[in-house]
Amino acid sequence: MTNEEAKFILSAYRPGGGDAADPAFAAALTQAQQDPALGTWFAQQQRHGAAVAARLREIVPPAGLREAILAGARASGRPSVRAWWTRPSLLAAAASVLVLFGVAGTMWWRSPSMQLGRLEAFAVDDTLHARHGSHGEAVSALGTVLSQPDTHLGGTLPVDFAALRTTGCRTINFAGHDVVELCFTRGGAEFHFYVLQQADFPRLPASGAIDFGQREGMAFASWTDAAHRYVAVSAAGLGAIRQLL
Amino acid sequence: MSSEAFTQLVDAHYAPLYRFALSLARNSADAGDLVQQTFFIWATKGHGLREAAKAKSWLFTTLYREFLRGRRRDARATSIEDLPPGEADIPAEEVDRVARLDASTVMVALQSVEEVFRAPLTLFYLEDLSYQEIAAALDVPIGTVMSRLSRGKSQLRAALAQGESAAASKVVPFSAAKGGGRS
Repeated sequence: MTNEEAKFILSAYRPGGGDAADPAFAAALTQAQQDPALGTWFAQQQRHGAAVAARLREIVPPAGLREAILAGARASGRPSVRAWWTRPSLLAAAASVLVLFGVAGTMWWRSPSMQLGRLEAFAVDDTLHARHGSHGEAVSALGTVLSQPDTHLGGTLPVDFAALRTTGCRTINFAGHDVVELCFTRGGAEFHFYVLQQADFPRLPASGAIDFGQREGMAFASWTDAAHRYVAVSAAGLGAIRQLL
Repeated sequence: MSSEAFTQLVDAHYAPLYRFALSLARNSADAGDLVQQTFFIWATKGHGLREAAKAKSWLFTTLYREFLRGRRRDARATSIEDLPPGEADIPAEEVDRVARLDASTVMVALQSVEEVFRAPLTLFYLEDLSYQEIAAALDVPIGTVMSRLSRGKSQLRAALAQGESAAASKVVPFSAAKGGGRS
């Protein structure tokens, strides 16, 4: 094996990789240990690779992507394996859905009405299943304290961790774009209010009548203005939603 | 697969999948879409626990195929394949250069590598798949993976050098910035 051949093989070697013990690397590794020039080249390769890999591991997915994936799976009505694996009628129905998705591919939600439906399902599902709370008082209170010019952050802050974790607003991800959620109460009813930038979702209807609906026991309304699309979700019913608008 | 198992699957793989998608798609929104679409396909196809052991390879493979479906293959990809490996010695300063750059600069450099090299190179650095699994995911022979890694690393080093130059050119001396702002 020439050094060039060894370099070719070692270009795929990673000491931290699951295949580091693969016999295919053995001869080239041995040669790198015995040949000083190849050994120097290999050491530099490893250092360079480790540095790049470390930088890539620092890339953090956007906030809310995980929640969007989970919510999207639930919104798609994903059943358990046994639920539809073993039932021919549901299997046939699922096959129809798959054909639909397969034909349409990623285009399946690109029609305005379908994308709006997907957004509304996402908002309802997020309201039902995600970790968020009532009205964000803890966040608001802490924000007020932090914004005061005489508040010293090095001192003790009135942090109620449990309240912060379960209440307040969040930025979540829907179809690759940020959606801001705010929670509030009005007249004793709890509402979840989602705000999207229209520019991020050009395939959503840019205007039109307010879209009311119910899903999984939640009522929702979706509407738009010049710059934003909004979805309000509540378990208090359509009447409560209508009173907001 | 139960909802709990699906959540575990997402938790285990969505971050490296996103990094792979980001290198391919070159923007966060499309990368997020690709990751969501990949898990959506998994969910709608109802993969069972028996397949969980192969889930990682399946997810990376599916994401890559979804990316390819989104755009036509570059005709240059096949001709580049014929080029010989271009592995040169790496000067020590190039290693130090990576350490000086931030993650986003390294990602931008990686995104500038030609796609035919970029996909195997990203999978290589992510260290989630073996080189054999990378070959399977990209549907190319093992030797081709090694060849592409070799070429891709050369392109990445060149891009990193440019990235550092660009970053350096953006540095404005404090005194000049201050003076300029007030004049």
